[in-house]
Amino acid sequence: MLFAHGFGCDQNMWRFVAPAFETEFKTVLFDHVGAGGSDLSAYDPAKYSTLAGYADDVIELGRELGLNGAVFVGHSVSAMIGVLASIKAPGMFSRLVLVGPSARYIDDGDYKGGFSAAQIGELLEFLEANHMGWSAQMAPAIMGNADRPELAEELTNSFCRTDPDIAKDFARVTFTSDNRVDLRKVKTPTLILQCSEDMIASSEVGEFVHRAIPGSRFVILDATGHCPNLSAPEEVISAMRSFV
Amino acid sequence: MQNPPSASIIEDLEDLYENAPCGYLSLDPRGRIFKVNKTLCHWLGYAPEQMLGKNFGDLLNVAGRMFYETHIAPLLRMQGFFNEVALDLVSQKGDRLPVIANAAERRAADGSVISTRLTLLMAADRRRYEQRLLAARDQSRSSEAAARATLKDERETSELREQFIAVLGHDLRNPLASISAGARILLRKPKDETETRVLHMMQTTVTRMSGLIDNVLDFARGRLGGGITLSRDANRPLEPVLRQVVDELSTAAPDRVIESDFRITSPVNCDRSRMGQMVSNLLGNALTHGSPEAPVKVVAATDNGMFELWVANAGEPIPQAAMANLFEPFFRGQVRASLQGLGLGLHIASEIAKAHEGTLTVTSTAEETRFTFRMPLRGADV
Repeated sequence: MLFAHGFGCDQNMWRFVAPAFETEFKTVLFDHVGAGGSDLSAYDPAKYSTLAGYADDVIELGRELGLNGAVFVGHSVSAMIGVLASIKAPGMFSRLVLVGPSARYIDDGDYKGGFSAAQIGELLEFLEANHMGWSAQMAPAIMGNADRPELAEELTNSFCRTDPDIAKDFARVTFTSDNRVDLRKVKTPTLILQCSEDMIASSEVGEFVHRAIPGSRFVILDATGHCPNLSAPEEVISAMRSFV
Repeated sequence: MQNPPSASIIEDLEDLYENAPCGYLSLDPRGRIFKVNKTLCHWLGYAPEQMLGKNFGDLLNVAGRMFYETHIAPLLRMQGFFNEVALDLVSQKGDRLPVIANAAERRAADGSVISTRLTLLMAADRRRYEQRLLAARDQSRSSEAAARATLKDERETSELREQFIAVLGHDLRNPLASISAGARILLRKPKDETETRVLHMMQTTVTRMSGLIDNVLDFARGRLGGGITLSRDANRPLEPVLRQVVDELSTAAPDRVIESDFRITSPVNCDRSRMGQMVSNLLGNALTHGSPEAPVKVVAATDNGMFELWVANAGEPIPQAAMANLFEPFFRGQVRASLQGLGLGLHIASEIAKAHEGTLTVTSTAEETRFTFRMPLRGADV
């Protein structure tokens, strides 16, 4: 069972969910390039200018591990990365679990992605302007714990580390991608987990993904927000159990 | 001793909460506001009951909400708090209110969230300051990039110029050789005294010009990374080369006296034509700058495992200030305009000395200015 984290965090995203499957599955967690403990020097702006670049990493990982008929669990943008990987490498995955997926974030005619192009532009600007506050948030907050710097390091530096410059690129790729046509090509049995109130990926967006992926199962969670894997792990685990 | 606080003043905790100089918010486990203080309501222009039940994200602009959902909310759930996050609240009227937010979760014994408390501080000035800082950083980055581009341009131009000098120097040699050969042919035929004098003068000028071209070429090569190359030969005698240089320069300056004394008794493993070039440069310098009344001396000898060659002249000493830069390229000191050359002679001479693992040093007093070259003799087999 391969767990892929979304934009804004790292594999810590799965810390409350993955352990529940350790007895039945071999669980694999990884950080996308630019996040967590990944090798930042491996970042190639050209390769990662589309989600296909990230999907290729997943396939490479799967080949290296000899995955065949594995379960792919992807949160947020990694849901689409998993969709792309499953199309490109048939057989590698026998199940897809998509948590809070969106095939396109920007509205397009009748399609409601939830955001206007201007709002996504604003986010990218926000990330640019918040560079300083953002890196400060990523850096160890040693100042407040002068007597025990190792504690501050552990508390604020070990979760959700992302390289600010790569994160900006990742935000652009994530929020400007459009994978609506890819959904129809999915042949792998798919479970979609949708939060009740998710401002990043609304119920409408989740239903679109559900309708577009043939035979997919759609579960609306009681959890709110965009990260049920953190805010309601038990609910996520039980929904996954009944599928895998 | 400090004065104890007045017993009559008791902090009103209800008032401290409601009218604190910062905003307070409490969220239920689903992220909905269930308590908010008056200060924050006042900042945002809402009545308290209008705020209850809203999601915290509803108070943010779209970009801030996305940032909060993707970055801050996960961090809060994992580590139980976040500090110093820069966010923009949106007031009822639609105005933006920059704040710095801290938050902490209140957890039950089983780790589940009871509530999340947020403290918000106004940060308009700080945000402006940060934005100016960012703008300054961007500006310095772009001006640094521009400076780098200019530097790269200049380097390329300079390299091109040096290549041009090298090619030009090389191309000047052939026509110069033709003039020299022509003068030699004419000298063989009978002619009057004036013609002979002019032809000799031409020969001297050609010799001097060849020397200048050699220096320019060596310099350009050195700059282009080639350096001075040697072809050493210990088996052929050095003295005839030195004599020829002295003869050439004597011809060029017929009214000057050059006293030479050569006692080379051991083989000198050197590049003979380079040695000739060095002596020519030093001797030319001595004739140009030395007193015309006194002789110029050239002495070369092998002794005690060393080869030493020196050239000395009388006249004004070299100013102390000029000594440090004497061997730098294009250094010309304070000389009369008519005496100015390229200023490469001493530089090339010292480069030749270095290439031979030798030294070129100078002493200059009121009596004498002397340039001394010394190199170790390492036997003929080297």
